Amino acid sequence: MWLLLLTYCCLLIFISGIVWRAYKYASLPVHLRWELYPVAHEVGRPYGGSYLEEEDWWHRPRKINLLGESTVFLREIVFFREYFYSNRRFWSFVYPFHLGLFLLVAWVVMLLAGSIFTLNGLSISSTSPYFGIPLVYYLTLISGVAAFILGIFGTTGLLIKRSYDEDLRNYTAPIDYFNLTGILLVFLTGLLFWIMEDPSFDVSRGYVKSLITFNFPEIGPIMTINIVLSCLLLAYMPFTRMMHYVAKYFTYHKVRWDDEPNKPGTGLEKKLQAQLNQSTDWSAPHIHTGQSWSEQVQSSGATDKTEK
Amino acid sequence: MKKKITLRDIGKIEGQMVDIDKADLSRLPAPLDDPADEPGIKQLTGEQKDRFDASLDGISAIGLVKPQNKQEEEDFVRKFIAGLKKLLSKENNWTFLQPLMLSLENCAKCQNCSEACPVFTESGRQEIYRPTYRTEVLRRIIRKYLKKEGKLLSKFTGSDIDLNFKTIARLAELSYRCTLCRRCAQSCPIGVDNGLITHELRKLFSQEMDIAPKELHQLGTVQHLKVGSSTGTSPKALASFIDFIEGEIEEITGKTIRIPVDKEGADILLLHNAGEFISWPENIEAFAIIFDAAGVDWTLSSSLVAYDAVNYGVWYDDVQLARIAARHAQAARDLKVNRMMVGECGHAHKAMLVVSDRVLTGDLNIPRESAIPLLEDIVLNDKIRLDRSKNDFPVTLHDPCNLVRLSGIVEPQRRILRKICPDFREMEPHGVDNYCCGGGSGFAIMDSNNFSDWRSSVSGRMKLKQILTTFGDVMNPEIHKYVCAPCSNCKGMIRDLLSRYRLTEKHGIYYGGLVDLIANAMVDVKGQFINWETS
Repeated sequence: MWLLLLTYCCLLIFISGIVWRAYKYASLPVHLRWELYPVAHEVGRPYGGSYLEEEDWWHRPRKINLLGESTVFLREIVFFREYFYSNRRFWSFVYPFHLGLFLLVAWVVMLLAGSIFTLNGLSISSTSPYFGIPLVYYLTLISGVAAFILGIFGTTGLLIKRSYDEDLRNYTAPIDYFNLTGILLVFLTGLLFWIMEDPSFDVSRGYVKSLITFNFPEIGPIMTINIVLSCLLLAYMPFTRMMHYVAKYFTYHKVRWDDEPNKPGTGLEKKLQAQLNQSTDWSAPHIHTGQSWSEQVQSSGATDKTEK
Repeated sequence: MKKKITLRDIGKIEGQMVDIDKADLSRLPAPLDDPADEPGIKQLTGEQKDRFDASLDGISAIGLVKPQNKQEEEDFVRKFIAGLKKLLSKENNWTFLQPLMLSLENCAKCQNCSEACPVFTESGRQEIYRPTYRTEVLRRIIRKYLKKEGKLLSKFTGSDIDLNFKTIARLAELSYRCTLCRRCAQSCPIGVDNGLITHELRKLFSQEMDIAPKELHQLGTVQHLKVGSSTGTSPKALASFIDFIEGEIEEITGKTIRIPVDKEGADILLLHNAGEFISWPENIEAFAIIFDAAGVDWTLSSSLVAYDAVNYGVWYDDVQLARIAARHAQAARDLKVNRMMVGECGHAHKAMLVVSDRVLTGDLNIPRESAIPLLEDIVLNDKIRLDRSKNDFPVTLHDPCNLVRLSGIVEPQRRILRKICPDFREMEPHGVDNYCCGGGSGFAIMDSNNFSDWRSSVSGRMKLKQILTTFGDVMNPEIHKYVCAPCSNCKGMIRDLLSRYRLTEKHGIYYGGLVDLIANAMVDVKGQFINWETS
């Protein structure tokens, strides 16, 4: 029962962490534009052009391709294209590592799907006559095993690369090795309990089901270690930069691709006006400490302070 | 021989951290492939060394004066920490807080950005120039001194960096070893922007500690706001320049063309980089000739600040950026023009059309455009008579970072060149993947101490390689070759590169703007508009 409690607590910390991190970034003020081309939602300019290429763009309707933007973003997330094209050697470790994590999530989803079937009295097996159940069985098996193997390969590769590649070693702190080792242990114990304790993932499915029914199944020692490690990792993640996947949405959509022009009378302009009315405490001689941004702009700045 | 440098060294090494040895620089292609021909970087004089801190790499870009006693040093550190807190606060840094936090908190330290940085690669991979070096130092300082990690935790997270005068002085200089070209940001899969962090560091130094290169601040934005132009040109001097330019136009075309100034109700207020008036008046002349022939309704402004499109604030100080942007817009409002238009100046494009777009509100929120799409319309729709055979010489295009990667204006200038230049050839890479000329973020105008040598040897090296490679098959000095750079600062940098390596004299490589080529192709301009003696 303590394991179920641990799982719930850690899940709660993890989800709260994601929400807190997303809220923290989302609640920061609208910033000055700092986009970087190509901007993925531009229409008809795959070479990286913008609406600023049009004469009189101010008075033309702005065309945005949200589907194109989502496609580019998803392609980057799913295939790690940037690494693939610019640093193939690093990609060969970082991609399996992340793919392992993605598949781990997929495995949990499949376990959950299987649990729902079993809650309805169906058993999950490769020979089940019911439509979809063999598919769930095989997808669970494939995603789980592939996650563990790819994860071990990728994490080990990253650990070795960070230890021996001078360019990386100089920037890798003990905490980075600690984090990678933690993830490696999750993958390793996962592979071990699959081989030694739960080859069809029935026990794993039973454990996931117990999260709903509180009917705790008997599980082996390696699986217990794996669950404890996974839970601790989940609870620890929000306090580290392993949360960069939350940030990635913002770095792409709210900075790199944020090219929304500030047209008169819009909500954006109103927000900016409010921000310009805030005071600022910068204290260099050319800045009037305590005045609002709008007041700063009106003054000639220069060496006003010393002139006074 | 390069020393191995670690992050902690920034606050530990006594004396100069690294020496930029010309033997470490990347090899140049023919005809500059003999390392013996590399001019190298001159050493600071004894007096300069005594006065200024050059403990990073023996270069002094900002002329930082050393503290005289312990008290001054402690005050220096205290001010830095105070500035750092302001940089991370919503009130003081709403302008860039979101991108800054995202970039500070999420770097995976994979070093993917390093290979994208021409300063790092061309310097012979000097560790201190790696895009992540200065930013990782800053991250660790924040963790140790703002988040107050204890000694043990600091060691665990790698934040055990000493914060002293050496660290801060070196960080200040390091913030001027990056051209803010943002190729590093483009290559980051997470979207971390080390260029932005460098920009923010510059802001901290300027807005809190009054530390900035004098060419950008005292002689730049301060002079711009006080005298009217960063060049020191007063409204009276502007009138003389315009007289001179009109005379030149008459000489070239045989036509009397008046440059409209302060024409109320004109369609367009054109803003030139005032450097053009002084160094490249032919650019102003070409604009006037083209606009006159095409019947464009335009004007210049003689209002203080507004006859100079530059806005150096975009490189180092948000308050100065906003002040200059507002004065540009005020001039447009007072003249009741329909739109403001930026001439051939890369950073003015980014400042006016992109970054300060969100500073101008209410009656200052006036349409802002680049002149390049209008030029494209004039050229491609045959609004002027052109003869491309007049441009029958090899031409390549340098893409200013501020125009392409940072403003997304990529193709109009190419469509123009393809139409008017029979031998137009691209550099590789080009467009949004271009390399900076080496003079970006203010470097082109920074000449203090020995910085200009560093700029030409290191930050401009990749551009030099590109130019040499693009014209590799036509190095005969009898064949005139033209590097088209639609940006004043880039032109200044390319001028310095060509001069330092004597490429005009020995190999016939010239440089100039885009409008120069258009005017050169005009049927109405008798003979050649481009003066090969002065280009």
